[in-house]
Amino acid sequence: MSRSSYLKPDTIALHTGYVPESDYGSRAVPIYQTTSYVFESVADGSALFNVEQGGHIYSRITNPTVAVLEQRIAALEGGTGAICTASGMSALFASFITLCSAGDHIVSATQIYGSTATLLRHTMKRLNIECTFIPINDEKELRGAIQTNTKLVFCESIGNPGLEVADIPQISRIANESGLPLVVDATFATPSLCCPIDHGANIVVHSLTKWIGGHGLAVAGVVVDGGNFDWQASGRFPELTEPYAPFHGIKFWEEFGPSALAMKMRAESMRDIGAALSPHSAFLILQGLETLSLRMKAHIANSRALVEWLQTQQDVTWVNHPELESSPSHAIALKLFPDGAGSIFCFGVVGGRAGGAAFIDSLQLASNLANVGDSRTLVLHPGTTTHSRLSQEAMLAAGISEDMIRVSAGIEDIRDIKNDFALGLKAANRVAGNQ
Amino acid sequence: MELMVRKTATYASTGGKDFNPGLPTVLFVHGSGLDHRSWALQTRWFAYNGYSVLAPDFPGHSLSAGEPLKSIEAMGLWLADVLAAAGVESAHVVGHSQGFLCVLELARQAPERVKSLTGIGTAAVIPVNPALIEAALRSAGQAAEMLLQWGFGQRAQLGLSAVPGMQPIAIGRQIMADNPLAADLQACADYANGAQVAASLDVPAQLILAGQDRLTPLKAGKALAENLKASYVVIQGYGHMLPIEAPKRCLLILRDLIGSLESGE
Repeated sequence: MSRSSYLKPDTIALHTGYVPESDYGSRAVPIYQTTSYVFESVADGSALFNVEQGGHIYSRITNPTVAVLEQRIAALEGGTGAICTASGMSALFASFITLCSAGDHIVSATQIYGSTATLLRHTMKRLNIECTFIPINDEKELRGAIQTNTKLVFCESIGNPGLEVADIPQISRIANESGLPLVVDATFATPSLCCPIDHGANIVVHSLTKWIGGHGLAVAGVVVDGGNFDWQASGRFPELTEPYAPFHGIKFWEEFGPSALAMKMRAESMRDIGAALSPHSAFLILQGLETLSLRMKAHIANSRALVEWLQTQQDVTWVNHPELESSPSHAIALKLFPDGAGSIFCFGVVGGRAGGAAFIDSLQLASNLANVGDSRTLVLHPGTTTHSRLSQEAMLAAGISEDMIRVSAGIEDIRDIKNDFALGLKAANRVAGNQ
Repeated sequence: MELMVRKTATYASTGGKDFNPGLPTVLFVHGSGLDHRSWALQTRWFAYNGYSVLAPDFPGHSLSAGEPLKSIEAMGLWLADVLAAAGVESAHVVGHSQGFLCVLELARQAPERVKSLTGIGTAAVIPVNPALIEAALRSAGQAAEMLLQWGFGQRAQLGLSAVPGMQPIAIGRQIMADNPLAADLQACADYANGAQVAASLDVPAQLILAGQDRLTPLKAGKALAENLKASYVVIQGYGHMLPIEAPKRCLLILRDLIGSLESGE
């Protein structure tokens, strides 16, 4: 069973967080498009502000439609609570800024999404929060990177776009032994394929914009509190264990225990930074979430079929997917992703960078854009787009080559995707022939 | 705050305010494997509205040191020591499930300490399947999952939460997984004097019972109310974990009884 219910994941995705009991019996989750909520009385308003009771005050902090999504994702991931945000990046920023202050330090995997790398390398640095990037599965490197001022270890369950699978059990063990939580961006996996908390992660972040939404209609993010980290025993987090002045000296750990982080994030990050998810976007994401597991099965089937087919094509120079035996992540992928290690794969074509460009520009069905996880097949050249702000050296460390084409396999008929890719390969072949 | 009870560091939530023994005090007693956080949505209101609050963690639970107590009788006596350590002569006492059995024992062994009794989701006898105790000995986390599957009502199983964005069952599981659940369950299973003790007490009492309680069924709760000569309220649509599942309803009922006793109405 889930940690939150006896219900199974597919049922949770459809039902958790809402029952049709309003005046109108709406079967779908209603969109509560409102900024604020009328208090029953002055005393009731005061009680809400003082956390004497639960409820809604202002939609920057909480909203009923958003709360359904939060409770549903928390249940699917096995967390004690969740906070939805305006985007995946704001979910990451909220996580980092809730745990870190000026003078603190983060240890991060090298193979991560380009904007996350920029956030950690440049923006957090302006706040005097430093980051050390390491090959995250290297135990010695990880132990060596942890400092007395380190506050968290960060990785992606499947790295973007290098597709390195993080050895979450090993990383969480090392982090926890040092009194540090492990924060995992699990966007490429979704709870349908892997729940990092089950493997020892303490905080899970998603860009809901991707597979969980699936339709490409709304930008959204979420942070899930695993509730499995002892902030008091760590001794590194006075923000959670000591009195918090803006809330009458509340001690989040004492008051809320396993949901201390989520409560702190709600009380501080959502209040002060205000990257709230709109109720309409939450509604759209809920529509996607309801069919997540069905879609993920189709994504995985198409991804596997394409990877297998591409390996037989003479104009393809290499293919990378964690399930391939040639992948350094093969063993850990089999262990953590028994139902499929995601629907992103990368490959190179003849003609190098020019061949890759020709491939992408000749596609008729797949879309060339900066997104993944859409139900439609998407392609991208990371070296000139998502990771273009990285130095050559950082790009190589992130597992990106000049000729790399990243594919997010959609759920169209596989024969149509293959036909489309065949057009691209012909174009790459022509470019290579002219070189 | 930290109290020294029997020379052991004991944590008691005070509802977010400094403890003042001069104010009317409400003592909240948690159930099997749980801790003071069961009362998060009741304690804070009392603390900010003219009362002092004590919600201790039993020895060996969450933030309290020490070894778990082995019997309900010992837990009742320990509660008297908690009140003494805090400098409280007498208090309104609220207990959930097994916590109320301990409250009954407090009232039997130290009646001068008790101004009123409120039992929530409880009964005079709370039988525990030996298989559950064995499971808790092997893994408190796995036993907690079984217990919470029965303990929370359908609304909570459907992920409804009084606090937006939170998952109360997962929170409860996490707390229970780290606490001496097996010792609590064994103490609960061994205790058979609830009805007799309840009948012997002469103190204002009330029960708050859940319509869909599968751990302490409504029928058993009503029988206890009769033994206690207590009034009772049934909250329909919720399960055994009422203080978490229906926190505001519980709070309002508590406020009414304790408030009326304090004002002499």
